[in-house]
Amino acid sequence: MQTLADYYGKTLKFDKLTSYCPGCGHGIVTRLVAETIESMGIREKTMSVVGIGCGGFSHHYLEVDAIEAIHGRAPATAIGYKIAMPDHVVFTYQGDGDTSAIGLHEIMHAANRGMPITCIMVNNSVFGMTGGQMSPTTIPGQVTTTTTKGRDVHIHGYPLLVPEMMRAMKGVAYLARETVVDVKSINRAAKSIRNAFECQVKGLGFAFVEVISPCPTGLHLSVPDAYAYAAKETLSYFKPQVFKNELEKSDEV
Amino acid sequence: MKETLFLKNTEAFAESMIRCGIRCHFAYPITPATDVMKYTSRMLPEVGGRMVQMESELAVSNALAGYACAGKLGATSSSGPGMTLMQEAIGFMAAGELPCIMLDAMRVGPGDGDIIGAQSTYFQATRGGGHGDYRVIVLAPSCGQEIAELMPQGIKLALTYRNPVLFVVDGVTCQMTETTTFDEPYDYTADFDTSDWAYTGTADHPKRFLLTGSYTHEQGYEMNERMRRKYAEIAEKEQMWEQEEVDDAEVLVVAFGIHGRMCKDLVESFRAQGKRVGFIRPITLWPFPNKAFENIPASVKSILVVEMNHGQMVDDVRLAVNGRVPVHFLGKTGGDIPMCTLADMTREASKLLEGE
Ligand code: SF4
Repeated sequence: MQTLADYYGKTLKFDKLTSYCPGCGHGIVTRLVAETIESMGIREKTMSVVGIGCGGFSHHYLEVDAIEAIHGRAPATAIGYKIAMPDHVVFTYQGDGDTSAIGLHEIMHAANRGMPITCIMVNNSVFGMTGGQMSPTTIPGQVTTTTTKGRDVHIHGYPLLVPEMMRAMKGVAYLARETVVDVKSINRAAKSIRNAFECQVKGLGFAFVEVISPCPTGLHLSVPDAYAYAAKETLSYFKPQVFKNELEKSDEV
Repeated sequence: MKETLFLKNTEAFAESMIRCGIRCHFAYPITPATDVMKYTSRMLPEVGGRMVQMESELAVSNALAGYACAGKLGATSSSGPGMTLMQEAIGFMAAGELPCIMLDAMRVGPGDGDIIGAQSTYFQATRGGGHGDYRVIVLAPSCGQEIAELMPQGIKLALTYRNPVLFVVDGVTCQMTETTTFDEPYDYTADFDTSDWAYTGTADHPKRFLLTGSYTHEQGYEMNERMRRKYAEIAEKEQMWEQEEVDDAEVLVVAFGIHGRMCKDLVESFRAQGKRVGFIRPITLWPFPNKAFENIPASVKSILVVEMNHGQMVDDVRLAVNGRVPVHFLGKTGGDIPMCTLADMTREASKLLEGE
């Protein structure tokens, strides 16, 4: 009988219960990253640089060398690492708070620099670990512990569209927004994550994937309702799409 | 072959690190440290290295941390406000036991300070500007020649103890141009094997992970204890200072950096008049050279600490002296000449000699 370990090889660890809440989208995204690393055969030369927050735990479930960078600074840390180890594969794994609030500066400059690293931002539109506060990506009307009457754009500003901000940057080689709210989307997200790693291996430039993901705990919703909310409400603001794919221009697609 | 060059002391820092094997310098422009990156951007590529200009000091210090994770020794250079922005990552590197070499071309403060040289960052350098129980090894050269001589030592300390090492040089000294004789290039970093801890991928080791934020884990206590032991060992073994004419001194002048350098002339002129003045110049600011003060002779009536600030190192001198001798302070910061002159120092030391 085929076991999970047969399928995921060594990259995804099964000897530990995850700290993600039941139904959290992080579990799916972490698995997709593990599948990519395993299928590309790059585990031994892959380095994970994770952010602070729930996503910071992702490396606990991956058998790759890893560092937990300081709030928001994972892209800068990844750049330093990549300069030291140019033949290694380095990816950041951060939440929306880590990436687009405290770390917006680092992610934007990393994108613009165009160095081949892969950055994954799991966007659940809320600060999960700190208990459900407004994030830059909280959608209009969304209730959080710091927007108790719902996000009012006139008071709190508009949700931040991170890939859209990167679109014009020449250093960005792969740019996509995906989601894990249903099976079809998960398959598409798997492809984008794979492409974002391929881009790095081929040295084409910076690769970024935003993944819209439900946070049942932060949203104070049951798991099915959190998925339904993300699919309907969050995706109405954050439209999944591949913005840019330099792999298509490179000879081996 | 040794080589003597006529350089700004910021450039002497750059030249020293290149000669001693550092191949990556992360930086962000700030006066008066910018000359270091101008120099390395030109010279490092010639030896297969690079200067990486980042978008901020936050990015600089975190990129430096990422570089160090790979087991390689990188460097950065900055000044007062830039160092303030780097503190978060410096604390992170200390906690993660990641080595690096840094220069603080010290400016006047507080706030954004001004570009004028000073020694206003003594507290920040020696106490740590970040949170938690960590230490940074701090070296305080007093001229270009000493920067060159301390660089191999700094690299050894950084890699032996896996800890950030900070050179503090006041902005005035940094801007001075003088001759410095450099030893033949030698890669001191290559003397250290970092393969037993570096995060270089799992090809030759089981998974390693650097996590500095889990002190509640079982390993957290052990990790803090290991660092406490390490810092105690450094404090015991690595104190450095220079002293002259201490044995029969009545007044001891204590100063670091440029004022420490002036102590030589000061003491010489006092001795020429038969006046018993000696000096102690701390070279390591952390660990502070307490040993220099352990056995100060009974002849010493008082100590004068001279700094380019409002009195920061004077606290460490008082701790080291522990009430045995009165400790006085002379300091100046800001203004067109942001430092005490030889005349100021002479006047104050004379008063103490006369028991005023
Ligand atoms: S708080 Fe939200 S993001 Fe964090 S683990 Fe729980 S469900 Fe996932």
